Amino acid sequence: MTPIVELRGLTKRFGAFTALDGISLAVAAGEFLTVLGASGSGKTTTLRLIAGFDLATEGRILIEGADVAALPPFKRPVNTVFQQYALFPHMSVRDNVGYGLRMQRVPHREIGPRVTEALEMVQLGPFAERAPRQLSGGQQQRVALARAIVNRPRVLLLDEPLGALDLKLRRAMQLELKDLQSKLGITFIYVTHDQEEALTMSDRVALMRGGRIEQLGAPRDLYDRPRSRYVADFIGETNLLPAVANDRDPGMVTVAGPAGPIPVRVEVRADGVRAGIPLWLSVRPESLSVVAAAAPAASGDGAGNSLPATVREIVYAGSVVKLHLALADGTTIVALRSPSDPPFASGASVQLRWPASQGVLVAD
Amino acid sequence: MPAEGSPAGAPGDGTPAAGTPARATLVDRVRTNRRVKTLVASAIPVTWVVVLLLVPYALLLIQSFWRLRNGTLTHELTTENYRRLFGTSLYPATILYSAGVALRVTVFSLLLAFPVAYVLAFKVRKHKTLLYMAVIIPLWVSYVVRAYAWKIILGQQGILNGLLMSMGIIRTPLTVLLYSTAAVVLALTHIYTPFTLMPIYAVLDAIPPALKEASQDLYANRWRTFIHVILPLSLPGVVAGCTFAFVLSMGDFLAPQLLGGNDSALMVSNLVWSLFGVAYNWPLGAAVSVVMLALTLVLLWVAGRVEARGSYGGEARASVTDYAAPV
Repeated sequence: MTPIVELRGLTKRFGAFTALDGISLAVAAGEFLTVLGASGSGKTTTLRLIAGFDLATEGRILIEGADVAALPPFKRPVNTVFQQYALFPHMSVRDNVGYGLRMQRVPHREIGPRVTEALEMVQLGPFAERAPRQLSGGQQQRVALARAIVNRPRVLLLDEPLGALDLKLRRAMQLELKDLQSKLGITFIYVTHDQEEALTMSDRVALMRGGRIEQLGAPRDLYDRPRSRYVADFIGETNLLPAVANDRDPGMVTVAGPAGPIPVRVEVRADGVRAGIPLWLSVRPESLSVVAAAAPAASGDGAGNSLPATVREIVYAGSVVKLHLALADGTTIVALRSPSDPPFASGASVQLRWPASQGVLVAD
Repeated sequence: MPAEGSPAGAPGDGTPAAGTPARATLVDRVRTNRRVKTLVASAIPVTWVVVLLLVPYALLLIQSFWRLRNGTLTHELTTENYRRLFGTSLYPATILYSAGVALRVTVFSLLLAFPVAYVLAFKVRKHKTLLYMAVIIPLWVSYVVRAYAWKIILGQQGILNGLLMSMGIIRTPLTVLLYSTAAVVLALTHIYTPFTLMPIYAVLDAIPPALKEASQDLYANRWRTFIHVILPLSLPGVVAGCTFAFVLSMGDFLAPQLLGGNDSALMVSNLVWSLFGVAYNWPLGAAVSVVMLALTLVLLWVAGRVEARGSYGGEARASVTDYAAPV
């Protein structure tokens, strides 16, 4: 099956600054793809190039197999939901939503029902005659969405559409958007800097870094098998332990301990991991169990790792207790525990344990 | 006025209990009383407006009802001045003629200012402020100098005649250039175009670029984006700019005086000037002024209404006096 959107070696330079450095990406029809990244990583630039607001310096953009590089935005079969909504202030909600249909010269008798349908889809039916500024941020966001989907585009581009909403509304809208996407079968290319949002909504996530795609994959892949220290750190919360590769046994690394290096077993190794370069062992806080220093080694878990640590701080967070610990070399570690677990005192000496399958060895 | 008793402490007890707040001084009371504060703060501007604007207008209005008897001003009240104003064709014709000149100036100013404002707001990236200043800088040059400059350009011995003669296009200097209505319109357009440009630039510059992109994303090409988004959003600025050009050029005095020749007598300000300064008929001059003032106020009111309709629903987004309001 041909991808609905394909980027080939897409590069965008603004003067001496390279915003996008030769990215290639194929998006399947009906897919929810999130372009995730910190600000300045090139995610918005990617979206603007697909929409046609900026022209690529190099590379090709194919939409349904056709090269659109030379087409202006109004001739591209994509629609955009803008970050600040960009609703037309001099038009009613109804006229805003109908704008694209009017510009395409859709017959008048067809426009009315389609606008009504789109407004109902985003639950804004009763607000059709209002002015955009009479609506709340969340409602304006829905108008922007309706204004785009009423055109029934094959691809919808969304530029941080929930960025201006508060957390609760944002969570609700995430599910609503995902629901709408699967109902309409429109391909979503969704730009965000919020990794949690990316994990929640996407079929696949492209994590951008410095104008390149650092890792592309399903949310679980990025979380469980980060390709680099950057990915491990960006996606979710993790502990990064400086590690040294073992020349003889690739399954073993050493981590600093109070009385010299301590061997640790690793089952997952990212690409580019080799001896002689700085390496990190990434272990998620929820993978760590904390036991008293005197506790006997866990039975029946031959692949288990164990490290001595000191409790520094105990943070109660409702459903979980966050334990801040320090390793022998001062590295700070976060572990999650249940509030019902027996508590530790600050300063207590403990053992950190995790199965070898839960640690990922990554390079920078 | 006696101060209110302190909140704590027994009534009649001369020595307040420990911890009771000290009695408020007059300054403290002014500082904490919102109404008094507002009153003090607004005293100066209110005085300014009353003494320098409202009183003169009131005097003008009163004077327009005075009678001139045998060339002597009397304080008898009469409506004779207004009857004469509307009874003869001269005064309405002059007002209409001035309005015609003002209308032409407005149209030309708009045609010049809008494209420049558009390019400044949307096309210029570097040196935007510098270029904007270049457009505005003529306002720093005295109005009289600019009006005189046109005399030098258009005169019989002027630059334009000299140029045309040296190019061999004409043999004898043209005399129709100067002292004509066209010369007045030309000079006034030059003088008032910046006033038209400023509000238009302000509204255009405040239009978020995302609105243009959204329009193009929704299948509108540049032209249709202009017609359906940019133009409607710029209307408050256009109305404000046109109002400036119209009102200022309709009441202009110096350009017709310097460049209008015989036609200049047909501009209303020059008529008022001659009624006051030559004919010594102050009451009639005052009456003409009052009519002009009323016309101007009506015009500003209409402009305000038109601007209010420029924004969809609810209250007005911008007005003549508030043209720089962000969209």
